[in-house]
Amino acid sequence: MSAATAEAPILEARGLVKRFGGRRGLFESSPTVHAVNDVSLQIRRGETFAIVGESGCGKSTLGRLLLRLIEPSEGDVLYEGQSITSLPSRDMRRLRRDLQIIFQDPFASLNPRMTVGDIIAEPIRLHGLARGAAVRARVSELLGIVGLRPEYADRYPHEFSGGQRQRIGIARALAGEPKLIIGDEPVSALDVSIQAQVINLLEDLKERFGLTLVIVAHDLAVIRHMSDRVAVMYLGEIVEMSPVDPLYEKPLHPYTQALLRAIPAPDPKDRVAPQLLQGDVPNPTDLPTGCRFHTRCPHVQPRCAQEHPALEDAGGGRLVACHFWREIGEAEPGIGADDSADTALSRRLEVYRTFQARREAEPSTPDINQQGGQT
Amino acid sequence: MSRPQALDDGTMQSVSPVTAPVLAVKDFSLTFKAGAETNLVESVSFSVSPGKTLCIVGESGCGKSVTSLALMGLLPSPPARIVSGTAEFNGRNLFAMPERARADLRGNEMAMIFQEPMTSLNPAFTVGQQIAEGIMRHRDVSKGEARAEALKMLEWVRIPAPEKRLDAYPHQLSGGMRQRVMIAMALANRPKLLIADEPTTALDVTIQAQILALVRQIQAETGTAMILITHDLGVVAEVADDVAVMYAGRIVESGPVEAIFGDPQHPYTIGLFGSVPSLGRRQGRLATIKGAVPPLDLMPKGCRFAPRCPLADSRCHDEVPPTVPFGDGHSAACWYAPIEQTMEARQ
Ligand SMILES: Nc1ncnc2c1ncn2[C@@H]1O[C@H](COP(=O)(O)OP(=O)(O)O)[C@@H](O)[C@H]1O
Ligand SMILES: Nc1ncnc2c1ncn2[C@@H]1O[C@H](COP(=O)(O)OP(=O)(O)O)[C@@H](O)[C@H]1O
Ligand code: SF4
Ligand code: SF4
Ligand SMILES: [Mg+2]
Ligand SMILES: [Mg+2]
Repeated sequence: MSAATAEAPILEARGLVKRFGGRRGLFESSPTVHAVNDVSLQIRRGETFAIVGESGCGKSTLGRLLLRLIEPSEGDVLYEGQSITSLPSRDMRRLRRDLQIIFQDPFASLNPRMTVGDIIAEPIRLHGLARGAAVRARVSELLGIVGLRPEYADRYPHEFSGGQRQRIGIARALAGEPKLIIGDEPVSALDVSIQAQVINLLEDLKERFGLTLVIVAHDLAVIRHMSDRVAVMYLGEIVEMSPVDPLYEKPLHPYTQALLRAIPAPDPKDRVAPQLLQGDVPNPTDLPTGCRFHTRCPHVQPRCAQEHPALEDAGGGRLVACHFWREIGEAEPGIGADDSADTALSRRLEVYRTFQARREAEPSTPDINQQGGQT
Repeated sequence: MSRPQALDDGTMQSVSPVTAPVLAVKDFSLTFKAGAETNLVESVSFSVSPGKTLCIVGESGCGKSVTSLALMGLLPSPPARIVSGTAEFNGRNLFAMPERARADLRGNEMAMIFQEPMTSLNPAFTVGQQIAEGIMRHRDVSKGEARAEALKMLEWVRIPAPEKRLDAYPHQLSGGMRQRVMIAMALANRPKLLIADEPTTALDVTIQAQILALVRQIQAETGTAMILITHDLGVVAEVADDVAVMYAGRIVESGPVEAIFGDPQHPYTIGLFGSVPSLGRRQGRLATIKGAVPPLDLMPKGCRFAPRCPLADSRCHDEVPPTVPFGDGHSAACWYAPIEQTMEARQ
C-alpha cells in the first residue's frame, strides 16, 4: 500500500454540488434531487481511494463529476492543481486521456456493433498514439495485459462473458495510458471467482503502470481489500473519511458503524442478532434537516435535527461529520484487525495455492479464458 | 464436527435426524436439449427439514434457478425435461403429480420468492389486492376476511404504516419494501416450504440485513422449511443450517454449515472461499479460480471442475469423481477428498 505523501493531490474536489431536475415549467414542476452536496476531497497520487454508501447516495454522480462527464451545479474539480471546469480544449483532451472510467456493466458501455479490436483502438486513434499496423499491435498488447487472447480483437462484445467484458472495458481504459482510473462498481455484477480475478488484475495494473485508483463500491469487503482510504457517503455527503484499517476497526460515524454491522458474519460461529439500522434511505428530493442521518441514527439527540454537523478532524487522517462522535465512538467496536488464524480453510487454501502456482509455472499453461469466450 | 446439540429429553428445537424432511430430492437431472450429451443439472440430491434452511450456493449459470423452478413446477416443459429423479414433498413425488395438483400446492403449501420482486408483483394491482387474491385462491374466505388477513401479513413482515401500504401500488414502494411484500404474499398461506432465489442480491447491505433477520424470525415462528439460493457466502454463513455447493449443474459438496465453513473439502469450495476478500486486514492477493464455468456444450466428461482445478490430473478429466462421505452428512465429490491427506502425498 502506498504511504501517505505530502505531495500535491492528483485530483481534488472543492465544494462539489450536483442537483438534478428542479425546473419549474408553467404546468409541471419536478422536485430537485440533491445528488451530491458540498463534497470536498483530495485524492493522492498512487493511492486507491474508495467511495462507499447505499445505492442512491450519490457515488456515481460524484465519480462523473470528478471526470467532468457531467457539470457541477457548484464547486470545482482540480486535476494536477488545475481547475478542470474551465479548461481550454487542448488541455481537455489531455484530461480525457489521463482520467478514465470503467463501469459496472461493461456491456452497456461497449458499442455492440464494433469489434473488440475497434473498441480498444478508438482511444489510440483519437489521441494519435499509434498509426497503421502499430494500432493493431497495440490492441494485441493491451488484450494480453488484461489476460485476453489477441484473436479476440475480431469478435464482438456479445460473444463474451461478464468477466471478459469487464477486461475489455479495462483494456479500453488503459489504451490512452491514463494516470487515474475511476471504477464505478467495477466488480459488483461479477460472480465471486470472476470478481477475484478482476480485483487482482486491477491491482496488478495499478502496480505496473503506477495508476491512481478511485473505486466506487458498496461491497465493504472488496473495499477493505483494495483501498488505502475510504470516503463513506450518505445522502450526497461524505460523513466519514479515513485510512482503511482504522475505519473498519474503529468506525467513528454512526452510519459507518451501521453499515459495518449489517455485513453478514463471515463465519456461522459468529452469528449474532445485530442491532440493525431501521427503514430506508430518505428521498434525496426531500432531505432531512440538520444531520441527514438523524431519521435513522440510533444515537440521535434533539440537536441533530436542527444543526448540520460539519466534517471535523478526528486525528490520524480521519474526518467525521457527527456532533457526538467523541461520545459514541468509544462504545463501538468495529471489525477485528486479525482473522488470520490457522484454520482448516487456511491450510487448504495453502495447498490450493501451491498447486495453482505449480501449474502456472508449467510451460503449457492454458489460456485462462479458455472456457469463457464461447462463439 | 460439532453441531448444535438437542437436549437429552429432546425438548429443544430438534436437530435430530429423525425429523422427516419436508422435501427430499434424489438423483435429479434436467436438460433443455433432447438427446444432449450432458445434462444441465446432473444427479442432484438434497433434502430440507421443517424449520431448517438449506442454502444452495454457486456461481451464476450453475443451475440453481432452474432447479428451484423445476421444484415449483414453473419450468415450461418442453423445452425443459426432467431426465431422472424424484422430489418427495410431504411424501408425494412432485415430478409424478398432475399439473392441477401442483397448482394447488403453489403459493399454498410451497411458495417462492425471487430476486426481483416485480417478477411476482403485478404493477396494475395494489399490494393488498394481490396478497388477498393469493389467500382467496387457496382458502374459502370472503374478500373482507382476505383483506384483513393481508393487513396482518403486512404487519408481520414489519412494513411501516401497513394500512396505508395495503392500497399502494408496487412501484410506490422501495426495493426493500417490495421484497417484504413478496415475502408476505409467499407466506400468506403458511407454506411448509419456502424457496427463496437470491432474495437479497439486489439490495443494499443494510436492507439485506433487515430482510435476513425477518426471514429468520418468521422461520422461528412458523417452522417453515426454507431453501435459500445465493451466490453470497456471507448470506450462507448468516442463515444456513445446511449447505449444498453447486458447480456447473452438480452438487460438489454438501453438509452442515459448520462443516462447510470449518472443514471445506472440495477444491471448488476452497477456491470460492479464497476468492472472497476478508473483512479483516488485507492478507495479500486473493486466491482465484482460473477461467470460467464451461458452457454446456463444452462440459467436461469427468469432474466438471477439472479444467479450473489446480489439483486436477488425468483421472479427474476422464472420470466422474465419487461422492466421499466424511460423516455427519458432510460429503464432497472429489477424487482427492479428504484433501490434506491425499495432497501431502502429492506435494
Ligand atoms: N441524470 C439524473 N437525473 C436525475 N436524477 C439523477 C440523475 N442521476 C442520478 N440521479 C439521482 O441522484 C441520486 C444519486 O444517484 P447516484 O449518483 O447514481 O447514486 P449511487 O451511485 O450512489 O447509487 C439518486 O437519487 C438518483 O436517482
Ligand atoms: N429455458 C431455457 N432454455 C435453455 N437454457 C436455459 C433455460 N433457462 C435457463 N437455461 C440455462 O440454464 C443454465 C442454468 O441457469 P440458472 O438455473 O438460471 O443458473 P443460476 O440460477 O445458477 O444462475 C444457464 O446456462 C441458462 O442459460
Ligand atoms: S449528528 Fe446526531 S443524528 Fe447525526 S450521526 Fe451524529 S448522533 Fe447521529
Ligand atoms: S476430482 Fe479432481 S478435478 Fe475434480 S475437484 Fe477433485 S481434484 Fe479437482
Ligand atoms: Mg452508482
Ligand atoms: Mg439464478
